[in-house]
Amino acid sequence: MAVVLQVFLAFVRIGGIVFGGAYAAIPIVEHEVVVAQGWMTYAEFMDLLALDEITPGPILINSATFVGMKVAGIPGAIAATLGCITVPCLAALCLLILFRKYKDAPLVQSIMLSLKCMAVALIASTMIKLGVAALMPDGTAFDLAYGVYVLAVVAAAFYLMHVKKLGPLPVMLGCGALNVLVGGFLS
Amino acid sequence: MVDGSPAEPSRLSKLWALFFATFSISMTANSGYAILAVMQDDFVSKRRWITEDEMADYLAIIQSSPGPMAVTSSMIVGYHVAGLAGSLAAVTGVILPPFLVMVAVTVFYQAIVGNPYVSLFLRGMQMGVVAMLFDVIIGLFRNATENSGLYPFIVMALAFLYVRFTGCSIVWLVLACACAGVVKALLIGRGEGR
Repeated sequence: MAVVLQVFLAFVRIGGIVFGGAYAAIPIVEHEVVVAQGWMTYAEFMDLLALDEITPGPILINSATFVGMKVAGIPGAIAATLGCITVPCLAALCLLILFRKYKDAPLVQSIMLSLKCMAVALIASTMIKLGVAALMPDGTAFDLAYGVYVLAVVAAAFYLMHVKKLGPLPVMLGCGALNVLVGGFLS
Repeated sequence: MVDGSPAEPSRLSKLWALFFATFSISMTANSGYAILAVMQDDFVSKRRWITEDEMADYLAIIQSSPGPMAVTSSMIVGYHVAGLAGSLAAVTGVILPPFLVMVAVTVFYQAIVGNPYVSLFLRGMQMGVVAMLFDVIIGLFRNATENSGLYPFIVMALAFLYVRFTGCSIVWLVLACACAGVVKALLIGRGEGR
């Protein structure tokens, strides 16, 4: 029961500071779940992000459900999901009741711009950590051939999404399938 | 439960309608903006629960609340249509599909994660995740730095240094960024801004 409460409170904290779009949730969840609580490793966190991309729904809800399930089963999943929407719902309700109309649009825009810039920085920091974890899976030493292979796959996946405007779902599945083929061939 | 008051059935049917509307929107639309677009189409154009102008006012609130836009917009539209009970119905509807899908996926994941081929597959997807984040960063970066001068670069650099080199909570960073936004707006308001 104590664990369920802990999960709930962790996701209350997370939900309160996710500003700047759906992807802004990723570094916040990482900070709380991997760094502060130690509930998962970076490898598991990356699995979670891959699953986020191939399932419907907001990243924050998906992550809460996954982490809650891992830490405390179905009750944990429910606690985490309710936790992560608590502050957003209260904030929206308060804003709605306090100001039906925003009088000071430039002020709000300026704050949101700052938070968006923060989200860029946070996601970049998380990407660097995940990139390192992908280069050296399970804490293995850096291997040049494997490193070149990983960079090539990342570059190809980036090309397909950024230039060819392919959705994340086929790219994720393609990367997975490619790695199974390559790994199966090598062993 | 049926007490014969005429208002009760219509209110209850509204709640069911809200629940089913957000439930089906959440089943079909994925990203926050897509959900907002579908909601607008459904609630403003088809059901006429809310006018275009009201929706535009609410948009500012939705965008400045933390958390997923799908959840905050359901909260607000639900409240507009049927008060707090409406919010509850709409938010429940919007979070139930991703919750149920993710529970099933997680059970499946935990059952198969030990398999060597599955772990190879996941490791491949992890490379895709790094590429996806890079793509997201570029999109957000362009969006944030458009027509805003030097300010976004300063905030990004300071926020990056903070999160890389201090172990402190992100809460303080959020507050600092919000304050910086207020200061910037006040300076520009007085004509002294960049």
